[in-house]
Amino acid sequence: MNTKTTTTIALAEVRNVSKWFGPVMALNGVSLDIGSGITGLVGPNGAGKTTLLRLLTGQIKPSLGEIDVCGHDAWSAKAKDHIGLCPFGDATWDELSGRQLMRVTAGLRGFTRAEARRRAEAVLETVGMDDRANRPVRTYSKGMRQRIKLGQALIHDPDLLVLDEPLNGVDPVGCEELNDLFRSLAAQGKAVLVSSHILHEMDQLADRILFICQGKLLASGSLAEIRDMLDEHPLKVRISCGSPRRIAPQLLTLESVKSVSIEPPSELLLEVQNPGRFYAEFGEFAAGNDAGVHRLKATDTSTEAVFDYLMERALHPE
Amino acid sequence: METANKTSTVAACAQVFRLALRRQFFSRQTIVTAVLLGLALGITALWAYPMPWNPDPRTSAQLASRILSPLYMGFLLPIICLSYASSAISGERSEQTLVYLLTTNIPRPLVYLAMYAAVLLLTLAVTLGGLAVLCLVPGKIGLEALGVFWTVTTCATVAYVGLFLLFSAGVRRATFLSLAYALMIETLTVNIPGVVNRITVSFYAKSWLYETGKPLDLAPTGAALGLFNPVSAASAQWVLVLASVGFLALGMWLFSRKEYD
Repeated sequence: MNTKTTTTIALAEVRNVSKWFGPVMALNGVSLDIGSGITGLVGPNGAGKTTLLRLLTGQIKPSLGEIDVCGHDAWSAKAKDHIGLCPFGDATWDELSGRQLMRVTAGLRGFTRAEARRRAEAVLETVGMDDRANRPVRTYSKGMRQRIKLGQALIHDPDLLVLDEPLNGVDPVGCEELNDLFRSLAAQGKAVLVSSHILHEMDQLADRILFICQGKLLASGSLAEIRDMLDEHPLKVRISCGSPRRIAPQLLTLESVKSVSIEPPSELLLEVQNPGRFYAEFGEFAAGNDAGVHRLKATDTSTEAVFDYLMERALHPE
Repeated sequence: METANKTSTVAACAQVFRLALRRQFFSRQTIVTAVLLGLALGITALWAYPMPWNPDPRTSAQLASRILSPLYMGFLLPIICLSYASSAISGERSEQTLVYLLTTNIPRPLVYLAMYAAVLLLTLAVTLGGLAVLCLVPGKIGLEALGVFWTVTTCATVAYVGLFLLFSAGVRRATFLSLAYALMIETLTVNIPGVVNRITVSFYAKSWLYETGKPLDLAPTGAALGLFNPVSAASAQWVLVLASVGFLALGMWLFSRKEYD
């Protein structure tokens, strides 16, 4: 599935982009827009996530297609005015202190010394590193390195922030702080593209998710939009009721129900084929029968479940 | 943070220059260079000191032909140049910090130019400083040799830095390639009779020295000179200048197009 949902003005536009390295096709005809807000980029290893991020940040050129960032070709220096990158690796200029690193990074963006100093202090405070900024970067923990790298990406106040696994190695409290920071940046109208393999983080963080596998964009949109698109996606529903053994056979007569299992003492676990249709059928069923339903809950609405399903479909197409 | 502040490409390039200069100076290359120069200094001091079996005072011509030409021009100069230039870009690449330079808003050719300027300044300081020390250790006899060698050293350094930085932009393990080039091409090929030696920087440096260093009797005589077949000093200067400009232009072009992993 190669879909596109644009809800805001696109800051980055990817048009029919393919990229191959020798015989290996890393991306295959990908088209997408990235607007303001937080966009999650999800896919297994080797899916093409890093290639897409490198294309967006102008490190490599597409073999076919075009990528524009704020109206400029992503490879151009003008586009890079608008891009902030937090790369995956830990590497940075380790011999510098955190404060020096921020000033150097600001200097590389062409700010005057006074402005570089001012921005360095502001960004150090933003990423919560102002109290440890005089230590050499080589003494930093992984979480501190992530923060300082994020500071490097933010120093010039970019419109498009590209973050490759930014929460990798950050403690839970730090994760929440950084997530709040990403949300506040998104609230300012910036586009934040977050690549992550920790899918449940995307559930809570991203406004929109891009699923990528084997170099193809499988789906994009909010999680709810993707679920709506996946009519055939089997959904697991847990029902608490007074007499599960009595209604289990009756539920099997519904067309949308694929299987029912009883989970003592009072629960049923249903696998349903078409969620929208199931909810309609179940409403009628519950109204017409004395089902005694206390609670109904879909158990696998997470990104993970959708992701697994999409991956399965991509790897084993019917 | 507001975005209204103006930025300057010149200021950004100056930052690349300062960063590259700092990183190259505080590096293993400086330690290796210092050790090699120290050894050369020791050899020169021992040679210059009158020994019981060789009590005659040393001359400028002897310093030039026995120390400066073979040891400094033939070995130390290319090694110093390659140690700094070949690691400038490939070092950032292998340490995975090149990405920060490639994703700035500085046009790539200017990033390359700023790094070239930093490496060239540092290398010139080391090569000319090293030459001056080697010439001054034996005393006054070195002044005449210094006057002949410093211009050739400067031009050869510019050419070598351009070549080895081009290697650095092109391949990940540029130091190995540069070392192989220095030892195989510059050292061996330059001594092959015919025209094949004209692909080396040291051929033109030597040709230049042979003409301008006549008072030092640097040029070989008789058949040896015929086999070497030097070009004129003016031609050597032109070739070195054109080669330096060519290496720089080629490096800027390559760096601006290459997709680094």
